[in-house]
Amino acid sequence: MSYFLARSKNPDIQEAGECGGAVTSIFKYLLDENIVDGVLALSPGDDIYDGVPTFITDSEDLIKTAGSYHCAPTMFGDIIQKYLSDKKVAVSVKPCDIRSIDELIKRHKINPDNIFTVGLNCGGTVSPVTGRKMIELFYDINPDDVVSEEIDKGQFIVELADGTEKGVKIHELEHEGYGRRSNCQRCDVKIPRKANIACGNWGASDGWTFIEVNDEKGEELIKGAQNAGILETKSPSQDAIDARLKVEGIMIKMAKKNQDSNYEKVSGIKEWDRCIRCCACRDVCPICWCYENCELNKSYFDASEVPPSPIAFQGIRLSHMSFSCCDCGQCDDVCPMDIPVSLIFDKLQKKYQDRTGYVAGVSDDVKPPLYSPAKEEL
Amino acid sequence: MLEIKHTLCPSCSVGCGINVVSHEGDVVGTYPYKRHPVNEGKNCLNGRNSVEIYENKLESAIVSNSDVDIDKAIDEICSNLKSKDNITLFCSGNNSVEDIEAIKNFAEKNNYNIALYADNIVGIDGEVASYDDVEKASKLIVIGDVLYTNPLIGRRIIHAKDNGADVYSFTPEGSVTANVSDEICDSIDDVLNSFGDNLDESSVIVFNTVNSSEDLDKIKEISDKRNSKILPVFSKCNSKGACDIVNAQSKEEFVELLNATDVLLVFNDDLIPEIDFDFASISTIVSFVPCENSTSNASQIVVPIKSWLENEGSFVNAMGETQTFDAVIESDALGVDEVIEKIQDKL
Repeated sequence: MSYFLARSKNPDIQEAGECGGAVTSIFKYLLDENIVDGVLALSPGDDIYDGVPTFITDSEDLIKTAGSYHCAPTMFGDIIQKYLSDKKVAVSVKPCDIRSIDELIKRHKINPDNIFTVGLNCGGTVSPVTGRKMIELFYDINPDDVVSEEIDKGQFIVELADGTEKGVKIHELEHEGYGRRSNCQRCDVKIPRKANIACGNWGASDGWTFIEVNDEKGEELIKGAQNAGILETKSPSQDAIDARLKVEGIMIKMAKKNQDSNYEKVSGIKEWDRCIRCCACRDVCPICWCYENCELNKSYFDASEVPPSPIAFQGIRLSHMSFSCCDCGQCDDVCPMDIPVSLIFDKLQKKYQDRTGYVAGVSDDVKPPLYSPAKEEL
Repeated sequence: MLEIKHTLCPSCSVGCGINVVSHEGDVVGTYPYKRHPVNEGKNCLNGRNSVEIYENKLESAIVSNSDVDIDKAIDEICSNLKSKDNITLFCSGNNSVEDIEAIKNFAEKNNYNIALYADNIVGIDGEVASYDDVEKASKLIVIGDVLYTNPLIGRRIIHAKDNGADVYSFTPEGSVTANVSDEICDSIDDVLNSFGDNLDESSVIVFNTVNSSEDLDKIKEISDKRNSKILPVFSKCNSKGACDIVNAQSKEEFVELLNATDVLLVFNDDLIPEIDFDFASISTIVSFVPCENSTSNASQIVVPIKSWLENEGSFVNAMGETQTFDAVIESDALGVDEVIEKIQDKL
């Protein structure tokens, strides 16, 4: 494991990018050297709250992906496995993205040789519509006037065009039902160490990105970008390394607290009786990939039963993939009936983790749990 | 190249946003559009499946069951329009505002009848409830299984319920709407008679079905009396917009018009499963559709038009908000306005 502070040597990227534009520069290096066919990242859609997954094949277009989106809870794992599995892809990944990619690699749905993963440390994401409402209510600011937002030092901070900033403590927002998505509040994987490199501002000085190199491919990425003359690096001080770990530790502690207070709610979930069997939770799940062959489509289940029996519907999904749930929260996001689906899946993954030590998308097992020795021991 | 583009869901009148995924020039799927204020990335199965229209696109015009080029089909249409008297243009809530205006102009210019059928819901003028009104309502009367059929309005009903609203419904026992209701009634009359007097100015009657004009009159009467709001939810994406341009007809009125029709031009709809009528009694039916359906299969002339994925324009959603959308994929097919222009040029 090695650490760097890095920033772009390209002035435009340094200006446009977050923390000195190191991530964008690494992508530029990969594209310019033809190491990848394209870069999968977010670019702005309607406004800063709308990050749209975009596949960039010309490095000139990378500038529009620079910057960060805390109000764009997207998922890249399923995009890669559905549409880009035959391409060499570089991708920016939150912890839940890389966890899903890791689970899909174990299922042979993504070829690890074909992807370069640039991890982004993540304190959580906010749903875009909630984010806008929250800014109106708690910041007394027109959300259209906000030019950027970030999560730092326990606050959700917005910046206006004139450079002024306003922050509100995240726990205050979350106490009122706003703030980060509920799965993000429970998430205890904050640094994506399964990615080739993990990048972020924790521990970094202004204008620099703190990079943790996680594997050989990550080392090659940094060296390659340095040799191409696009990335400048220096070593972080021990204080910076410690500060970063401290931020991570605080976030994990908060997450564990949220897990404790929320997992107990599972037995009281009554929302199953409004399930319309639309299968949005299944279809969006990056771990579910069977599609046409899904058990839920089999003739021995009554497809016309609405609401379906929870045991015969959610129960099947639980038994098939909850041990691999990476708590990305996509199922919650897309459920038209607001059923808190991820809570039960995440709780079961944690139970599985307690019994076997297997952390979905984090543990180094080469096979998914259904095929692993851990299952035999249960 | 993989692309993800914003558009509107065409599967009902709620007006949800949806992202369409295209790859190497083909539409390959959908992706949640979480920034959209109506649905926040949530789409029902019908909405997510709506892109399947692209796989089933009509490739060619058809005259008397044979593929022909588009000009031949246009000639055939013009010949029918010139030689027959009673011509009816059916414009559907599936068409955009711009398309409906083009159809209306075409009808007026040539003195043709124009018809619109919108779920038997007629004469809804003026303001209707917004989705926020539903969410903040103190009491709701829900007619139809709205949670199942229009889930993203159903979600607002759930939020209202969570906020303490009373929900009275006419919906099948055991349905998801019934499961969130405080009281379930056996008929529209029953729910309106039993709970109409409970409504107040912060109440909403949400309905996606009416059996007769009497039902509709009663809904309007109660909402007027109690100063509450109504929210009719149509089955087609732009029925509300269509009703603002063309007077919608009741089923009886529409059937009467069909009885007097020699040539029926159907723009982007499938009337046969919806209207109980002997369509074989009409001398010529012309369908303008992106892909085949029961009505196009019964038509003498079929002209392929752009699907919603290839089109741009605007829809008016159930709460009366005009929403614009862009094409998510390029197409050589003609739009409704272009087809009309070609016909008009040859008349």
